[in-house]
Formats: sequence, C-alpha cells, structure tokens
Amino acid sequence: MAVGESQLDGETESGAEDEVEARVGWRYTVARIKQDTTARLGLYIVSFTLFVAMYTLIDSNLSRLTFGQVSDYTFAQLLPFFDHPTHIPPPGEGTQHMPPYFPLAEQSWNPLPAGGTLEHPLGTDHTGRDYFTRIVYGTQVSVFVGLISTFIGLSGGTIIGAVAGYYGGKVDDILMRIVETVYAIPPLILIIVFTVFIGGASIWYAVLGVGIAFIPIFARIIRSQVLSVREMDYIEAAQAAGVRDRNIIMRHVVPNSFAPMLVYATLQIGVTILIVAGLSFLGYGAQPPTPDWGQMLNIAHRNYMHSNIWLSIWPGIAIMITIMGFNLFGDGLQDALDPQIDD
Amino acid sequence: MKLLKYATYRLLQSIPVLIGISVITFLLANLGPGDPVSLMLQGQEQNEELVRAIEQRYGLNKPLHERYLTYMGGLLEGDLGQSIHYRRPVADLILERVGPTLLLVLSAYAFALVTAIPLGVVAADKRNEPSDHASRVAALIGVSTPSFWIGIVLILIFAVKLEWLPSSGLVYPWRPPSTYRSIDGHLELYYQSLRHLLLPMIALGTLQMATIMRVERTQMIESLQGEYVKLARAYGVPERTILRKHAFQVAQLPIVTIVGANLSTAIGGAVIVETVFNINGMGQLFVDAIQQNDYQLMMGVTMMLGVLFVLGVIVTDISYAYIDPRVTYGESE
Repeated sequence: MAVGESQLDGETESGAEDEVEARVGWRYTVARIKQDTTARLGLYIVSFTLFVAMYTLIDSNLSRLTFGQVSDYTFAQLLPFFDHPTHIPPPGEGTQHMPPYFPLAEQSWNPLPAGGTLEHPLGTDHTGRDYFTRIVYGTQVSVFVGLISTFIGLSGGTIIGAVAGYYGGKVDDILMRIVETVYAIPPLILIIVFTVFIGGASIWYAVLGVGIAFIPIFARIIRSQVLSVREMDYIEAAQAAGVRDRNIIMRHVVPNSFAPMLVYATLQIGVTILIVAGLSFLGYGAQPPTPDWGQMLNIAHRNYMHSNIWLSIWPGIAIMITIMGFNLFGDGLQDALDPQIDD
Repeated sequence: MKLLKYATYRLLQSIPVLIGISVITFLLANLGPGDPVSLMLQGQEQNEELVRAIEQRYGLNKPLHERYLTYMGGLLEGDLGQSIHYRRPVADLILERVGPTLLLVLSAYAFALVTAIPLGVVAADKRNEPSDHASRVAALIGVSTPSFWIGIVLILIFAVKLEWLPSSGLVYPWRPPSTYRSIDGHLELYYQSLRHLLLPMIALGTLQMATIMRVERTQMIESLQGEYVKLARAYGVPERTILRKHAFQVAQLPIVTIVGANLSTAIGGAVIVETVFNINGMGQLFVDAIQQNDYQLMMGVTMMLGVLFVLGVIVTDISYAYIDPRVTYGESE
C-alpha cells in the first residue's frame, strides 16, 4: 500500500543528486517510517499499548505480591504509579472483593451506568469492578497474547518453511502437504478443538493453539522467499565453501528472507488479537477473573444489552484501536521495506 | 471439456488434504489428555463397568488405527457416527444446520463484493483525494474490528435503540411460509428472511469487504498504470470507459483469489456471528458439541467445516481458471 509517497519522492530525488541513496537497511526503514504519517500514528499506538501492557504487567504482579490479588476495582488505583491503596482486602478475607466505598454495595450488583462518577468514569461491571481499570488491564492479555502467539507462529513457520524451501524435493512435499492440511481447517475451529482436547479452556492453551494454527501461513511465505533466495550466488558460494546446511539456512537463507516476514508478522499480531478476542468471546480464551476484552464483551452481550449498552461498547473500541495500531504500523513497515513502492 | 477436466483434477488433488483433515481431527479428538470416555462421563462417578460398556458401544477399546479405519469407512458411506448429546446421527444434524451457515457466509460475501468493488475502484480513480482517504480509513476500521463486536454494535443500534430489525434468529427462505406462524405468502417470507439476515450479514461481511477493498484499490492502481491503459488513452478512449472496461477487468482476478483465501476466516467468523445472533447453523452446532463434550459431533463438524473450506477454494480456483484465459488447466496450483 502506497502511503505518503508524495512526500518521499522529493526526498529521494534531492538525495540522489549528491549520492546514491541506499534503499534498504534499518536506517532507511526508520527514516521512511518517520516520514510516513500513518506509519507514525501506528507506531505511537503500538508504543502506547505496549507501554500500558508493560505497566499493567508490572503493576498487577506487584499488587499480587503485596496484596495477594490484582487491584482491579477503581480508576483511582491506577493513577499513582505502583502505589496501592490499602483497602484491598488481604487474601482469604472474603471472596466478595467489594470495595467498602462502593455506592451500590448493599444491592445486587447492577452495573453502574457509564460516566457515573470520577472514581468510575466508565461505570462498573456486574461485580462492582471498575470498568475502565479492567479495560486498561485487558491490554495486557491482548498484547502479550498477540505477541507470543505470533512469535510461536513465526518461529515454527520459519523453521518449517526454511527447511522445506531449502531442501526441496520429498522433504518439501511432505512438509507442505502437512502445512496445507492444517491450513485447510479454519483457524478458530482448529484452535478451539486443540484447546479443548489439550486440557480445557485456558489462555495459555489458546496462545499455543493460535501460534500453531498460524504456522502454515508463515511457513508458506518463508518457503516462497527461500525458494528465490536459494538461487542466489552467495548461497552457492557458501555451499562451495563447505558450510553446513543448518548454518546456511540460519545465517544466510533466513535473514535474507526475513523482511517480508517481519511485515507479515506485524500485521499478523493484529489478526491474532482479533482471533483471541473471538476465542475469549466464545469462552475459550482468557478465563475470569482475568480482565480480557473479549470476555467482557461476552458478559455484556449476554446480560446487559438492554440495561447498559456502554458495557458492550468500550471493550470493542479498545480492541479496535489496538489492532488498528498494529495494522497501521505493519502497513507503514511494508512501504518502508519495499524499495519499489514509489512508482 | 478442458474446464471439467481441470475441475476433476483439482478435486482429486484435494483428496490428500481431506484425508489429512480427517487424520488431524481424529488424532486431536482421540490422543488428547481428555479421552472421550471421561469427557462423556464428566461429573459422574466412573465405575469400571460403565467405562467398559461405553468403550464397547463406541468401539473405543480397539487400537487407534483400527478405529480410524472404521470411522473412515463409515465416512465414505455418509455415516459420521452418532451424536452423544443429541442422540441422533451426526450427518443428519450437519445437513440440518449447513443451510443457515451457507446462507450467512454467501450473503456476507455478496455484501462484501457489492460494496467493496465500487469503493475500491473509486478510491483508485480518485487516488490521494478525500474519497480515497475516507475509503481507506473505512477499510482500516474494517480489518481492525472483530466481527462479533460489529454485530453487537449493530444490534445495539438497529435492534435495541431503533427497533427496526430483529436481533436474533434467521427466517429460512427455502422453507414453506406455513412453517412460520406470523408469515403468510412467499413475498413476506423473503422480506422477513432479508430483515433477519441483514445485521449478521453486515457483521460477517465487513472484514471481507475491507480486505477486498484494499486489494481492489491496489490492483486498480496497478492496472491503471498498465501499458494497455496508456495505449487506450493515446487512442483517445474516454477515461470512464478505460476505468470501466480496460483497467477494471484485469484488476478483478486477484479478487477471486482473495475470496477463496479468506474463506477460512469467514467460516471461523460465522461461528462467532452465529453465537451473537443466535443463528442455528454449523457454528452453533460446533459450540454445542464442544460444550457438551460430544466428540463424535465435534469431529464431524470440524471435518465438514474443513471440507467446506477446501471446496470453496476449489470453486474459486475453477472460476479463476474460467475467467483468466492465461491459466493453463492442470498446471496451475
């Protein structure tokens, strides 16, 4: 996708006068991302979600260590960094987890309407937990799940694709048949079946399942890359010099086919988050009480479609913005890494 | 006929993949730590006799490869086993439920194609103008939003707030109108069917629309820079004709591929959208099978969804070969 190439044209032309500009390499890539408005926006969103995810990870683990549980009740607790109010009940003291000052504490837990108080800017959920805090904490699950399962898919796919592409022949045939078969089962279905039969609904099985389900896609891309790289002179040179196959694959073939994979992986993180949100929505992803957007949407959709519509809105917006960040960044990266893009 | 030969060739080629799907589903269902018997008896006391009886009844005491061969033998005769939860043949259940899912997926694709192609063409034609930017933002939102959330938002707006459209269920246009109490006449039936279909169709189709639009735009831009377009321009062919005829036709081929490749996402999406809109299709059947630990049903549904995907890809391949005169039958992937 050609994004903002009009600004770039001038740049490259003026640069071409004094020296030939290298159109590959990290410096060039970073420069192009900086020039590209949409890529920059994507980078900002991705950095922001990563920061929030890291913050909540550290924060929730600190509070787990200190108080024995995650503080997910009020917005006010989010504000002071790593500083937790003392009203969280110590572990074991009551399963209700009700903050003492909660306004509806006496009644059945009807979710508080959105924008109710300063303490609960987005209201609360059905158990009286602050919705905003839960959405912020939901970033953690989505982002890490996206990163980890994409990493699993990427590394698995790279190994299989590289081996298949490099050796060709029978090895290629067998590996690619398997890959094609896995590819033929719709990912969501495969992941659910996998999760249930590995040991029941859990976010970690879901992560593993998503990773495995996406191995075929990565394997196919890296294989086609390897097929073209394999014919390069430097591979022949390495072979002639007696370098072992494994080293040729790892040191020459894979690094040289990696750029398109990187772009694809970035875009794939978005897809992964999308799939995991769907899994959680169906109940096969993150399990309560872990805050997770898909699961929050599930509860809101089942119980509060009429009484509190905003509960179904906020988590969706969070999912959308996160995925959009990765997509924008991926698109920008694609433009930056593709030297032929400006026509 | 060459096309028929190619179709047969593609079908034969897909047999290993279909066998592969059956092996994977069978292994997942039978080798996982959760073995079928304990899943069936979940929550009940496990006594030795009962386990034996169940193993005997479902042939679970035989070695794995034998069980697989028995299962495959049944499969060839159209017997997918017996659903433990519904106490009915799996094949019957699937036949009952495949209609709504196909209706949903096909209408979602129809929606996606009808909206995405004109939008993509306009975006390419008015490149870097406001309408292009607007359509690209729309495409970005489309690929970044989960289908179930689009469904929820649509329900909130059109069913809960405005009360224009129903929020759940489907009216099947192939059934006689008399099956529905409040509907008389075929016209009313089609109207109601469309009303019920509208929201889930948009929910499922938006992602496809966004992907197709992106591809259409890139392809059209590329196509508009082709030599043949330059030649047509040099001959003084009006720009509208170039856009509609010369550039357009060439740009459509990758769309066919995208439609086929995205089919698996659409089938997965259908499972979730069916849950949101309470549609009794394959997706619901799958979710039921999982929730009830009905491993026979689950195997059957998983395999059928895989088969649907493979068939869909073959259909798109064949239509690709049909559209593109350059494809030599039998050699292309």
